[in-house]
Amino acid sequence: MANEPEHIEGRAETAPPQHSTVAPGGPATAPGDVMAGPPAVRIQGLWKKFGEQTAVHGIDLTLPAGRFIGLVGPNGAGKTTTLSMVTGLLRPDAGTVEIGGHDVWQDPVSVKSRIGVLPEGLRLFERLSGRELLSYIGRLRGLPGDEVDKRAGQLLDVLGLSGAQHKLVVDYSTGMRKKIGLAAALLHNPEILFLDEPFEGVDPVSAQTIRGVLERYTASGATVIFSSHVMELVESLCDWVAVLAAGRIRADGPLAEVRGAAPSLQDAFLELVGAQDRGAGADLDWLGGGRAR
Amino acid sequence: MSTASAAAARPATAPSLTGVFVRLKLSLLRNGLRQSTGRTLAYVASIVVGLLFAGAVVLGLTALRGNAHAGALAVLLTGMLTVGWAVMPLFFPGSDETLDPTRLVMLPLRPRPLIVSLLMASLVGIGPVVTLMLVAGAVIAVADGALAAVVGVVAAVLVLLVCVALARAIATASVRLLTSRRGRDLAVLGGLFIALGGQGVNIAAQRLGRPDGLSVLEPLGEVLRWVPPASALGAVDDAGHGAYGRALAGLALTALALALLLWWWQRTLTALMTSPDSSTLQALEKDGARRSGTGERGLARLLPDGRTGTVMRRSLRYAWRDPKSKMAWATALGVGLLVPIATSAQGNGSMYTAFSASALLGAQMYNQFGQDTSAFWMVASTIATPRDAYQELRARALTLALVAVPYVTLVVVGAAALIGPWSDFVEVYGLSLAVLGALLATGAMSSALFPYSIPSEGNKNVAPGQGAIAWFSLFGGVLVAAVLCSPLVALTVWLHVAGLHQLLWLLLPAGAVYGVGLAEAGLRVAAPRVATRLPEILGAVSKG
Ligand SMILES: Nc1ncnc2c1ncn2[C@@H]1O[C@H](COP(=O)(O)OP(=O)(O)OP(=O)(O)O)[C@@H](O)[C@H]1O
Ligand SMILES: [Mg+2]
Repeated sequence: MANEPEHIEGRAETAPPQHSTVAPGGPATAPGDVMAGPPAVRIQGLWKKFGEQTAVHGIDLTLPAGRFIGLVGPNGAGKTTTLSMVTGLLRPDAGTVEIGGHDVWQDPVSVKSRIGVLPEGLRLFERLSGRELLSYIGRLRGLPGDEVDKRAGQLLDVLGLSGAQHKLVVDYSTGMRKKIGLAAALLHNPEILFLDEPFEGVDPVSAQTIRGVLERYTASGATVIFSSHVMELVESLCDWVAVLAAGRIRADGPLAEVRGAAPSLQDAFLELVGAQDRGAGADLDWLGGGRAR
Repeated sequence: MSTASAAAARPATAPSLTGVFVRLKLSLLRNGLRQSTGRTLAYVASIVVGLLFAGAVVLGLTALRGNAHAGALAVLLTGMLTVGWAVMPLFFPGSDETLDPTRLVMLPLRPRPLIVSLLMASLVGIGPVVTLMLVAGAVIAVADGALAAVVGVVAAVLVLLVCVALARAIATASVRLLTSRRGRDLAVLGGLFIALGGQGVNIAAQRLGRPDGLSVLEPLGEVLRWVPPASALGAVDDAGHGAYGRALAGLALTALALALLLWWWQRTLTALMTSPDSSTLQALEKDGARRSGTGERGLARLLPDGRTGTVMRRSLRYAWRDPKSKMAWATALGVGLLVPIATSAQGNGSMYTAFSASALLGAQMYNQFGQDTSAFWMVASTIATPRDAYQELRARALTLALVAVPYVTLVVVGAAALIGPWSDFVEVYGLSLAVLGALLATGAMSSALFPYSIPSEGNKNVAPGQGAIAWFSLFGGVLVAAVLCSPLVALTVWLHVAGLHQLLWLLLPAGAVYGVGLAEAGLRVAAPRVATRLPEILGAVSKG
């Protein structure tokens, strides 16, 4: 797929410097052999059917620890379904998921304290204020009260929510909800963070802030796994990518490897999901031209 | 009068504004009907029911002609109608979209003709027709003589105008509140209002049905007859008795009220149409209040640390802030109290009706996680062991008990005092506590095994397709709770039958201990099931 030099170059551009310590063995050629410890996530034979429809179609995937990992795919590819099953919010029909070497369904005690989750399409406790929400979730996670309050204050500050911290979450905007959800996911300093479309509805300034927070977080050796539709963002943030389409993994590996010879991740993605010639087709020849009707 | 001058000025400034609005309203009605046959049927049915109801009331009132208390009744009826019109826009906003002033902001309209036209357009519809019929019935009941009849016609028109103007003015004044996200909470509470109001009417009807029941109304009527617009009906009564001064004063009061209402309506409408949306500013102010308010924080500090206190704090906040929780609590507290009061008011009360308080509050334990909506994922992602689940459930049960135990105590004491006899107090109290414990136990179980989602919008409390689960779990659970309590009931019966009345006091400690034991056992059995069924529960409560 990719020739070696280009592949290394590609990583060197985007990877934060400390990755040389995470992966001392040189260029990553296959997932798994890079690190000393267990992979962040190991998925084997994961299936999920909703009635007749197969949302996730036998996924095998190993994601290395200490990386910024992007999960991309068209609408309905199964990203949300996969992330829900990996984080223990949805029971798979078949397959196993291990996080940091612990089985999600057999050993929830080890897993739940290690992960942070920002799901998509699920609500928050919206009748709490932003600060109350953080204080609630932090204490549920068993952190000491004053530590929760300290961390909550700092997170609210960094994410630009201090001004709205006493407002009920029900009155938050879409982007503010994403940010408070992110703060809730980060509060207990998890080793692995799962974010489903964390940048959806977030303004450019806040997106930059979130990037900063997440980059600092991965720099300390933690893992971020997030789904997104914005290829430019994935390309500039991630050093590892998995492409999902119709419930199957189409490609996964270091960014440069997945991108291959294509000029950008966008092109590689379109090629992988086979959507290149389904462009602005001739079917819509009535559209435009300023002639109403 | 401002109305008169406005009406006179209208043809010059905006010749057909009233016509436009009336036609707009008629065509909106027609279009609404055209949308679906179901809607047409519902509308026709509501018209028929409304007219039948009004017709029946008119007949009844006509039959009351000459009754000594007819005046008080007519006045009271008018007062109730007015209250109905006043609360309508609060609980059912958007019921009349022609008149939504925010839709008129863009139009170059002057306030005064606008008010008159809106008022006229408001008179189109089934509500005003029914109201007019009811008021006419009240007039028929009291009008005695030709002069009284003339006063009656004026009074009927005035009452109708006051009612409609009141509804519109209140709708306008509260439009900012009602179009805000949290304002719609009120609409959810509307159902409760209707339920409690219905119960009140029920009690009233029973009282009035007794021989000479109408005399109960006299003191109330005496006050109400000076409150507009009921004062107009009082005027009709007075005119029939030759008290012309009082009659004139009554009519004048209502006319004055109408003028004031129109003036207030015009002012709020002008303010609304010319000032920017200030809902954000208001929200900020309120937030400031929450920050500085230390009351809850002080109380909250009394709760234990750890998961228990955290969950209890959130549940208590939700009981106050979440419209669905608030309604559930208000219903349980209200109805739990109402049942003993209503039965004792009917004179055939039994102290055992005090069970309603513990039954209704205990039933709050059912579908705990459905009350969380899909936000349950936050709970699920922090439950790793059966112990976590146990603490979560126990905290929720403790929140309930925190309110329920004192409340049940209060209701049982009240029932003993009002209905009696005090000799039954101990056994009723003990059994009440046992019932509460049994319901907490079965509620925890059914929360684990039969969760269903509660849609946050609208008046529905079950998502489509889950009604069967909801009913099954509630009724099944209540049956099981009854079976669980049967040993204590058997003990009670045995003590009575065996004549061991001196030992009846045992039932109180026995009931309390048994209730606590049942609740604890239920939580312990339910907890591991919650812990293993987290994804299933999340799926069930996220629907709809
Ligand atoms: N609860 C459900 N019931 C039925 N079908 C579902 C359910 N959840 C997901 N699906 C189906 O599973 C497939 C995968 O959905 P999923 O939400 O995982 O996609 P996604 O990759 O997250 O899409 P998007 O990019 O739009 O968020 C879709 O076809 C969807 O219709
Ligand atoms: Mg998705």
